[in-house]
Amino acid sequence: MFILETKNLHKIYDEKTVPVHAIDGIDLSIRKGEFTAIVGPSGSGKTTLLNLIGGLDKPTEGDIIIEGISINSLSPRRLTDFRLRNIGFVFQAYNLIPVLTAMENVEFIMHLQGQSKKSREKRTVGLLQAVGLGDRMHARPAKLSGGQQQRVAVARAIASKPKFVLADEPTANLDSKSTENLLDMMEKLNREEEITFIFSTHDARVMKKARRVITVDDGKIVSDETK
Amino acid sequence: MILAVAWRNVWRNKLRSFIVLAAVAIGLFAGVFATGFYKGMADTRLKTGIKTEVSHIQIHMPGYLKDKEIRRYIGKSDHIIDELIQRGEMEGAGRRLIAECFFKTAHGTRGLRIIGIEPEREKNVTDIFSRISEGNYLEGNSKIPGILVGNKLKDKLKLRLNSKVPVDIVDANGNFSSRLYKVCGFYTSNNTGYDEMTAFVKYEELRSQLGFSENPAHEIAIYLKPDVDVGEMKQKLADEFPVLEVKSWREINKDLAYLVESMDQYMFIFVWIILLALCFGIINTMLMVVLERTKELGMLMAVGMSRFRVFVMIILESVFLSLTGGLIGIAIGYWVIKVFETRPIILEIFKGFEQYGYSSEVYTNLPFQSALKIAGLVVMLGVVSAIYPAIKAIRLHPVEAIRTE
Repeated sequence: MFILETKNLHKIYDEKTVPVHAIDGIDLSIRKGEFTAIVGPSGSGKTTLLNLIGGLDKPTEGDIIIEGISINSLSPRRLTDFRLRNIGFVFQAYNLIPVLTAMENVEFIMHLQGQSKKSREKRTVGLLQAVGLGDRMHARPAKLSGGQQQRVAVARAIASKPKFVLADEPTANLDSKSTENLLDMMEKLNREEEITFIFSTHDARVMKKARRVITVDDGKIVSDETK
Repeated sequence: MILAVAWRNVWRNKLRSFIVLAAVAIGLFAGVFATGFYKGMADTRLKTGIKTEVSHIQIHMPGYLKDKEIRRYIGKSDHIIDELIQRGEMEGAGRRLIAECFFKTAHGTRGLRIIGIEPEREKNVTDIFSRISEGNYLEGNSKIPGILVGNKLKDKLKLRLNSKVPVDIVDANGNFSSRLYKVCGFYTSNNTGYDEMTAFVKYEELRSQLGFSENPAHEIAIYLKPDVDVGEMKQKLADEFPVLEVKSWREINKDLAYLVESMDQYMFIFVWIILLALCFGIINTMLMVVLERTKELGMLMAVGMSRFRVFVMIILESVFLSLTGGLIGIAIGYWVIKVFETRPIILEIFKGFEQYGYSSEVYTNLPFQSALKIAGLVVMLGVVSAIYPAIKAIRLHPVEAIRTE
C-alpha cells in the first residue's frame, strides 16, 4: 500500500513564452516508513517535485494521490487543510516563528489543527525531548543554534502526525556535526515511530543515510535505488 | 494562540512600533482633548444660555416671539405664576415685562431691551443676581428706581454706579414715556452681546412706565428641577394653557439647540479626520510588516495556516498597534479633561468669543461614553488600516513567498 503516488506528473513554467519542463512525466510511489532522498543537481527539478507532492504547487498535468485522495482536485481551502493534517514540512532555512519559543513553535501547528491545550503540551514536551531539546523548550529561535532550530522544525513537522514529512535540503545550512545529529535523530524517528521522510538534497551525508535514493535530472527520474 | 502571536509580532520591531504608537497616542490625545474642550465650551454656553438668558420654558401670548408688540401680554399673570410656583417640578418661575427702549447718556444713545423682573422670584429662574460685578441686584427702594446694566454697556457708554439715565419707551397706549433710572449695578453674563443689549429694572417700575393697570406679563420664564424632562413639561403646560404659547429653550433659542446637536457631530468629524491621517501611517506600517515577513507568511500558509487565519492575524496586529496607542492617548486626554473639569482653562484669545456667548473660561467635559466611542473608532481604525495589507498577505503564493530572501 502506497501512501503517496504520482502519475505522469508534469510541471511546465512560462508556458506562453519559453516553456521549461521542470517536471517531465514523473511516476513515483512511496510506501509508509520510507526514508527517501530525492537527489540531483541544481535545477534538476527536485524542489519542484517536493512542492508538487506537498500540495504547494499545482502540476500542469498528471495526478498526485495521497492515501487515495487526488490532491489536484481539492479546492485551495481544502488543500490547505489537507496539508495541515497530512503533510509535515521541514525547510532549508528552518522558518520558525521568531516570536514563539521552541515549545510554542511546535504547539502552533497542533493549535491550528484544533487540538486541546493539554494534549498539545503533552505531545510537544515529548517531541522536544525526542529531538534532544528537552532543556531548550522555552528558548526563542534566536537563542538556538542552526542545528537546534532545525530540530525544532522537525519536531514541528511531525507534531501534526502527518502521513509523511517533506524536507527540502534540511542540512544545507548546517555544519557537519549538526547535520550528523539531525540525520541520526530523523533516522531514529523513522525507525522507531515509522515516520516517512522524503528529502530533497545534494548532501552526500543525507544520501548515505537514505534507504532509497531517487535521482532526478531535467525533470525526470533517472535512477531509483533502494538499499 | 493567534492572539499571542499577533501581540508579540507588534513588538518585533520595537522602534517602529513605538513611533506608530506615539503618533496614534498623540493624535488621539489631541482628538479627545479637543472634543472635551469644545464640549466644555458648548456646555458652558448652554448653561449660560439657559440659566442666564432663556430658562427652560417660556410662556407668551401667541405670536409674541415673532412680533414683540407691547400689547401682546398675558393678562392674568398672578394666577398663572402662583399656580406654577407651587409645582414640585419647578425650581422657579418668574414673570417679565419687556420693552424696547432708548437709553440716553452723555456718551451716546443706545437702543436696548429693558426687562422688568421681580428680583426675588427671578433668583429662582436666572442667575443674573449672582453675576453682579459691581453695585447691587435691584435692591432697596430709592426715589429714583434702579437699573441693572451689563458691563459691556457700561464700557460703551462710560457708565458708573449711580449714573442717572433717562429711558425712553412707547407705552401700552402708544404714548411716548420717559423715566429717569439710576444705575444700581453691573452684571456680566459671559455673553457680551446680551450684556450690551439687555438691562433690568423692577417689574413694578416698568409696569407703571408702560401704563399697565393690572399685573400683566410679556413672558413667564420657568426653570425646572434637574431631573425634569423639558419636552414633557413643555407639552404638559401647553395642554394646560391652550390659549398661550408654551415653548422650550430649544424652540426659543434655535442657535443654542443647534450648537448642542452639532457639537458632538463636529467633534466626531474632527476625530475622524485625525483617524484618517493615522490610518495612512498604519497602512504603511502594516505593508512594511507584510513585506518583511513574506517568507514567514509563506511558511505559515505552507504548513496549513488558512488564509482566513493569516488575514485575522494581520488585522489583530494592526488593532493591537492602534488600540495600544489609542488607549494611551485617550487615557491621557481623558485624565487632562478631568483635571480641567473643576479648574478652568482661561484663554485670553477667547475673549472675542464672549460677544457670541462663549466664556473665555472653559471647563472641559467629556462623558465616559464618548471616550468609549472614540476607543471603538480606534479599533475600527486598526481593522480598516490592515485590510489592504492583509489582502496582500493572503494573496502571497506559499512557494514564492518561502523563496523570498
